[in-house]
Amino acid sequence: MNLALFFQQVVNGLAIGSVYAIFALGYTLIFSILGIINFAHSAIFTLGAYFTYALMGARFGFNGLLAQTALPFGLPFPLAVLGGGLLAGGMGVLVERIAFRPLRNRGADPLLMLVSSLGVAVALVNIIQYLVGAEAYSYPNALAGLPPSINLGVGGVPLIMRTVLVVIFIISMLILFALMRLMNHTKAGKALQAVAEDPVTASLLGINTDRLILLTFFISGFLGGIAGTLVGLSVTITGPYFGITFGLRGLAVLVLGGLGSIPGAVVGGLAIGIVEALVPPDLSGYKDAVAFAILLIVLFFRPQGLLGRTFIQKV
Amino acid sequence: MNALLQVDGLTRRFGGLIAVNNVSFEVATGEIFGLIGPNGAGKTTLFNLITGLTPPGSGHLRYKGADITAAKPHQIAARGIARTFQNIRLFSGLSALDNIRIARHVHTHTGTLAGVLRTPAARREERAVRERALELLRLVHLEQRADEAVGGFSYGDQRRLEIVRALALAPELLLLDEPGAGMNTNEKAALSDFIRHIREQFNLTIVLIEHHVPLVMGLCDRIAVLNFGELIALGSPAQVQNDPAVIEAYLGE
Amino acid sequence: MDSFFNQYGFLIVSMTFSALLALSLYLPLMAGQLSLASPAFYAIGGYIAAVLSTQIFPVESGAPFPLERLLLEMLIAAAVSGVLALLVGLPALRLRGVYLALATIALVEIVRVLSLNLEITGKAIGIFGIPQPFATKLDYLWISGVLLLVSAFFVYRLEHSRMGRAFAALREDELAAGAMGINPTTTKLLAFVLGAMLAGVVGAVSAHFLNTWNARQGTFDASILILAYVIIGGSRTFLGPIIGGLLLTALPEVLRALAGVPGLPPLAVSFLQDGRLIIYGVLIVLSTLFFPQGLITPALLRRWNRKGRA
Repeated sequence: MNLALFFQQVVNGLAIGSVYAIFALGYTLIFSILGIINFAHSAIFTLGAYFTYALMGARFGFNGLLAQTALPFGLPFPLAVLGGGLLAGGMGVLVERIAFRPLRNRGADPLLMLVSSLGVAVALVNIIQYLVGAEAYSYPNALAGLPPSINLGVGGVPLIMRTVLVVIFIISMLILFALMRLMNHTKAGKALQAVAEDPVTASLLGINTDRLILLTFFISGFLGGIAGTLVGLSVTITGPYFGITFGLRGLAVLVLGGLGSIPGAVVGGLAIGIVEALVPPDLSGYKDAVAFAILLIVLFFRPQGLLGRTFIQKV
Repeated sequence: MNALLQVDGLTRRFGGLIAVNNVSFEVATGEIFGLIGPNGAGKTTLFNLITGLTPPGSGHLRYKGADITAAKPHQIAARGIARTFQNIRLFSGLSALDNIRIARHVHTHTGTLAGVLRTPAARREERAVRERALELLRLVHLEQRADEAVGGFSYGDQRRLEIVRALALAPELLLLDEPGAGMNTNEKAALSDFIRHIREQFNLTIVLIEHHVPLVMGLCDRIAVLNFGELIALGSPAQVQNDPAVIEAYLGE
Repeated sequence: MDSFFNQYGFLIVSMTFSALLALSLYLPLMAGQLSLASPAFYAIGGYIAAVLSTQIFPVESGAPFPLERLLLEMLIAAAVSGVLALLVGLPALRLRGVYLALATIALVEIVRVLSLNLEITGKAIGIFGIPQPFATKLDYLWISGVLLLVSAFFVYRLEHSRMGRAFAALREDELAAGAMGINPTTTKLLAFVLGAMLAGVVGAVSAHFLNTWNARQGTFDASILILAYVIIGGSRTFLGPIIGGLLLTALPEVLRALAGVPGLPPLAVSFLQDGRLIIYGVLIVLSTLFFPQGLITPALLRRWNRKGRA
């Protein structure tokens, strides 16, 4: 393919990759603190998308308990996105309280927590379906006033991008930047890193692990919810299950970047986004498998991923 | 000496830390060999190296003349080296009987299909395994509790059970990692007797990590002292007790 | 009575398939391996049967499919699944815990995407018109029921045998198991291969049972369902997955019947009809909280045994 097309695909990939990155960050934050994979993350991703839709005052479709209902007010898209993220963060905390905390207090096997999170994911996604049906939704007038595409080219070389993707990329970068500031410049953020690094010492130093875990689930839910909205913006909300498939690919990002590694989630997300974008059109049916092939390759040859830690087992 | 185990220049690093540093010694057949040293001296790491749980960075291990440096744990067990763990690693959800029977795995042959079909050979082997396991349980007075899950056993019983589980491997070399930890003086004395007894009964060579110096002095034929991963003394209990390097290492204790 | 079986033939046979698939997840779990790979082997087994019976050795339309050919397909499906499990298992089983679960999830997705794109699997449409060896759905019980009895017997005997103890040791403490002489790699591989072969055989029969086969047969959703059967039914004894599979597959029908009870508020009715998956999800969470070993536990079985003897 010619260079201009190549660059276009790479930039497309960066946009989608940035959403993968945000989503995977949600996984990795919880893994770094608790050593478990929260499968409910993909359900919260889905919830975020639906929350934003509702917050925009849009009306739900013809199926489900809440058919044809809409909120009495409607927020502009940027506020709705934020609101959706915050509500998703709240859901994250709720999930932690109900499903994880009791198991954690019991010292239960991490696999049991993984299974429980799967149960939560199944329940949540199907509750969504029960409430608002399985139709597709798209955000009404989200990008009102913006042109459908933007030319980012320099020096006469055109680089046409869908505005949606540019907006997504910008929002993702803003979120990432905010997260970096939170992690590195606030007491809570630094405490989070400390717990991720060495939970025993951290608690000996008086860091309140319980509250930190709550914060982590909130942030993780927020990130998941934002990611859900962004994907919903990009391709429409195809139905309550759209989070599950995205969520599975997010696992590939998590593994590629390294479980528990924050920079890894970003690098992994962008990498997989770009690789998927570069899949030639005649092989597009296999695009879904790319992430999983990468996941298997990483697991077989370098399970700690690009930037993850190797775990030393204590005897 | 008739060396059963030869440790030759063994070194193991963990990141920047040298856990075992060029350690060499030999263990003679039939002796009770003690391994002592302050906390973090590398004693358990040395056990892990001998039993194949961690690979050495450099050095060699020879058992009955054969090089076992690269052998995996289950291969080591098959060769006749059995161990217990510092933090008791019994199969706590399983019964005492099952814990012992599992250790008979290398010396039995019933395959999956034969086990499912309960062929005459399989049933014979099952009976033999059960007999042997009950015998070993009798040794530590736990025969009555053969079908109980070991997670509920007292600490002392668990320690003793872990030792007889290792004996079920029919080993020639038995590695005991702090078998007396958490025991009071009386229990430690009983343990000493028990260790002497099993050496006789089962023709064992025993290497013993122990923190409690008096226990070691009374029980062992020879003692090696580790400090910061290095071998600083090796000899009879009397020799080691009076070695200035050893005294200095323990003054910090 | 006859009409009951006619009406519920499909359900009864489906229940046995679920129990079998639950056993296929239970086998690696006995050795401590959480594998979500069964749907991949199930799908492959189904495609093998579908392709063999519709393209390679088709029958004249209308004629019943010979039973020996079905059994041969099941054998082939078992063999292919076994070999594939061996190839995939060798690298995958070096991974522990969640890493292995992730690898098996990836396997399922890759098989699904491949089946959506390959000619031989009929791409997105799948394969239609798979011939029937039996006149009614209920007759499939001759195969699925027998298969269930044989598998249940196999796993029951396995649990109390030398290899079964090796599995249990690995599940309890892989490190200590190795130190006691059990080769973790070969033992885990055995459990994984057995589970895969069972799933493949079930796939082969299911393809005929369902008459069509496509990429929707082997998905991550199926992994979760099968996991639910084992987690809720019981993860520590062979009866657990069987009861879990039987009951949870019958549950939607029971719920639908309950929904038919006159006088229920419409909210309850619609929930009973459509909320099956919500109930599954909640049951999984409740199980982990209150029944970590599932409903049927070894302790429970021991109590039943004692009562029986008393």
